[in-house]
Amino acid sequence: MDDEIEVDPRPLSSRRSFTLRNSAARQVAVNFMPSRQIPYNTLRLRRNNTENNALLTDVAEAADEADNADVQANIIVREMEQHHQLMEDTPDAEELRREALRELPQGLTMKRNVRAKLSASVSLRSKRKPISLWKRFKYRMSFGWKRTKDRMRDLVFSIELWYEAIRNIEGHFGSAVGSYFYLVRWLFTMNLLLSGMVILFVVVPQVLHDKPDRTVNFGFWDFISGQGWLEDSLLFYAHYHDGAVVTAGLSYYMPFAYFFTMVCLYLTCFAVLCYRTAYSYRRNFIETGGGVTLIFANKVFCGWDFGIVSHKAAELTSTSIYNEFKELLSEQNRNKVSMPVCVRICQYMTNVVATGLVLALVVAVNWGLWHMLEAETEWAVWELAVSALLTLVVTLCPLVFYGVVKLEYYTRRTAVYVTLARTWLLDMGALMLLLVYWSRSNTDCWETRFGQEAYRLVLLDAVVSLLVLPAIEFIRALIYKLNPDSSAPEFNIAYNSLTLIYNQGVLWFGLLFSPLLVVAVTIKFFILFYVKRECALRACQPARKVWRAAQTQTVLYVLVTLSLFATLFGLGSLFFRSSSKVCGPFRGYETVYSVLSEGALRLSEHPAAATILAFFGRPGPLAFILLFLCVSVYYMRARALAHSSMVVILRHMLVLQAKDKDFLLNAIAKVSNGEWSYSPKAAEGPDSHTWKYIRDVRKPSNSGFHFDASRLSHSFGDRPRSRVKEYRPYSHLTERSKSNDGDTDSSFSWQGSSSRLAQAEDDKRWP
Amino acid sequence: MGQGKSQFTEEELQDYEDLTYFTKKEVLYAHQKFKALAPEKVGHNKNAKLPMAKVLTYPELKVNPFKDRICKVFSSSNDGDCTFEDFLDMMSVFSEMAPKAVKAEHAFRIFDFDGDDMIGVSDLREVIQRLCGPELKLTDSEIQQLVQNVLEEADLDDDGALSFAEFEHIIDKSSDFCHAFRIRL
Repeated sequence: MDDEIEVDPRPLSSRRSFTLRNSAARQVAVNFMPSRQIPYNTLRLRRNNTENNALLTDVAEAADEADNADVQANIIVREMEQHHQLMEDTPDAEELRREALRELPQGLTMKRNVRAKLSASVSLRSKRKPISLWKRFKYRMSFGWKRTKDRMRDLVFSIELWYEAIRNIEGHFGSAVGSYFYLVRWLFTMNLLLSGMVILFVVVPQVLHDKPDRTVNFGFWDFISGQGWLEDSLLFYAHYHDGAVVTAGLSYYMPFAYFFTMVCLYLTCFAVLCYRTAYSYRRNFIETGGGVTLIFANKVFCGWDFGIVSHKAAELTSTSIYNEFKELLSEQNRNKVSMPVCVRICQYMTNVVATGLVLALVVAVNWGLWHMLEAETEWAVWELAVSALLTLVVTLCPLVFYGVVKLEYYTRRTAVYVTLARTWLLDMGALMLLLVYWSRSNTDCWETRFGQEAYRLVLLDAVVSLLVLPAIEFIRALIYKLNPDSSAPEFNIAYNSLTLIYNQGVLWFGLLFSPLLVVAVTIKFFILFYVKRECALRACQPARKVWRAAQTQTVLYVLVTLSLFATLFGLGSLFFRSSSKVCGPFRGYETVYSVLSEGALRLSEHPAAATILAFFGRPGPLAFILLFLCVSVYYMRARALAHSSMVVILRHMLVLQAKDKDFLLNAIAKVSNGEWSYSPKAAEGPDSHTWKYIRDVRKPSNSGFHFDASRLSHSFGDRPRSRVKEYRPYSHLTERSKSNDGDTDSSFSWQGSSSRLAQAEDDKRWP
Repeated sequence: MGQGKSQFTEEELQDYEDLTYFTKKEVLYAHQKFKALAPEKVGHNKNAKLPMAKVLTYPELKVNPFKDRICKVFSSSNDGDCTFEDFLDMMSVFSEMAPKAVKAEHAFRIFDFDGDDMIGVSDLREVIQRLCGPELKLTDSEIQQLVQNVLEEADLDDDGALSFAEFEHIIDKSSDFCHAFRIRL
């Protein structure tokens, strides 16, 4: 045997060269590997058009395409039969089968084929046991529920509001701007439902109770400021009756109705928002975090928005992707000097100082607001002026914050989030301040005053966002048309979303004190949709930079939820303290909370229950609960860190495995090409790997090479075997092709060894 | 949406509803859109096979750089001509209700230009060139660098190409994929 240098010199660099070695034997070996044969959860099977599909080439010779499809259908059905819960004869299993069929990556004809075969197989296996009454009842319930859900989906699709309009916008501007309009629609729907409930349970009984003898006499000034005639109308808290409303023999107790409706609506909204926020956060932040961030891969595969329709948007997207590629590459090529520590500290200090300044600004605004409220003037329109000033501040501050954040050292996306958070803080601070001021002032009926304040804010903001801002947008568009060199007006998603959050925040605060406010806000959102749509379509250009929509959406949901949380906190603490004695539906009660404790639960008559409730309100149990939450958060975080270090280990293992696979495939390719000598180099000593391999694994022979894998020094026999029964569904196919391979000696039972190799790889996978 | 109802029976609609992610009304709406591509031909035979050129006049496909790949992947005869069922399949995968795994599967097929079940270097080059559009061209070394970067980030077993598992891993980590890979009816 000649000394043939067989060992393939590994490239010196750690990265492999990128050419796939496409020898036929190697390809066949790769195709027979279990990882290529056993379908994944998604039942991947290639469609008929790949030439390298060794499974079907033999079959294709014999039969025509119809049979080919049949064979493939059989393979799929055989795989699905492995899952026992799919094969039962129950409606649940039917549902599972339907889902599995939907996920099949095949055409509809193949799916029908598979479905027919599957149901034949199922009916063959079903045991025909009589099902008990309970089971039948359960099936009927679940089936009925499914049918209702489907019908609801159908209904929602046919009445889906603004479907074409949003699709049109998405086609022109991309999915980020589309997501803004989806948020408008979602908030509009929620407010619509809220107003429906409020009108039904609170306003209508009050209307029935009211005596229709008041003359309608209000002027423009009353409409704007909410005072005068409007003060004692359905719009505000004070008007509502505090006793029972009696009509046609039915008695309806208003305080209970008002209290419970409001509380239930608030809590339901809070629950729905929390769920939505958590779902959005989980999908967009948690599931994608941990491990290496895939910047390039993300850009290449998820960069193109498949929903765009217009040529212009497509051109702009191409240009922006091109620019981003160039930017990323140039960033990489620049010699990245790691910034010295003092520069980084400098940047950090700048950020801290800027944040401090912003907080100081927020505090200053609040302080100014407080003093303005307290100032005693004879201006009749003083309160209106205060509201107008507050609206102005809320509109202009985001622009100030944008400017401030440009001076700081944040990445672009973090800068947006920071600005959003700061503006939110300003808005919430102002609203909380108003609430505190009015509740502490000793005016009678402070609730109505606060309700009026909320009403004025909504109205003035409507003027600004429905009239002033669109006008500015159109003027900018005009300037751009006359002078194309200036910057194109783009649809500013962050700024517009802030308007939405502000309005929603005002609504949360004002809903309790002004029930019809929700109707006003609903109408406002309705008009806002159309105004913004016209603005976007006529005055704006598609954005130059690609905007990450999903994560921004999560942040917006978080802000809306936090607004509601702050509201609940503020109102909750008010509930426990006092109640207005002179007006409103809770006149007869000490504190608003006593509507619940005295009125509904009658706790004074059940001292035991009262003591239990009082116990839970004390600091002890609350501190305990808080501590428990902290401990669970710490535990989750520890688990997450453990998982990410596990990910690092597994990635390392993957690379090593691939190297093993490559080595073995090379050996197979060489053997099948006739180069089956494996001779050690002269320089290697008797203990080298090559000599060991020859002694222990290879029987020295001139012909008939028998690759006895069981003799390998790292013996498989001692490995703990997995308990999984070896299942080789395609064994008949592999046996057939063995005879076709003319190169190898028939005594080379690499087929057996391939299963051994595969088993070895399996063993490696489950150590 | 009412006029299309006469062309389909209730069982056919139920059949489509079972096999795709659409409701019956959405199926009818999809048929309306399909008919708009070639009204006379589809009027005669509701499951008519339209040539690829006609299918590519659909608004979202017209401006898409991967339009021919999309048609080829979903076409049952693998040459790009689509029947209504292929079109329905396409819209179902691109719809909102389709789970991420199904979309990832088809995205893999779309990006696999040479059909060897791996996204290799040539496939990546093709994808990048198509993304940048027909006018703007990156230099060869830039494309090479980009391909290298992608493989460095995503090629976990270091074999020079992306298998489906690695591609699915990329998609799992991307929060924008479902937003991007979506065509609304």
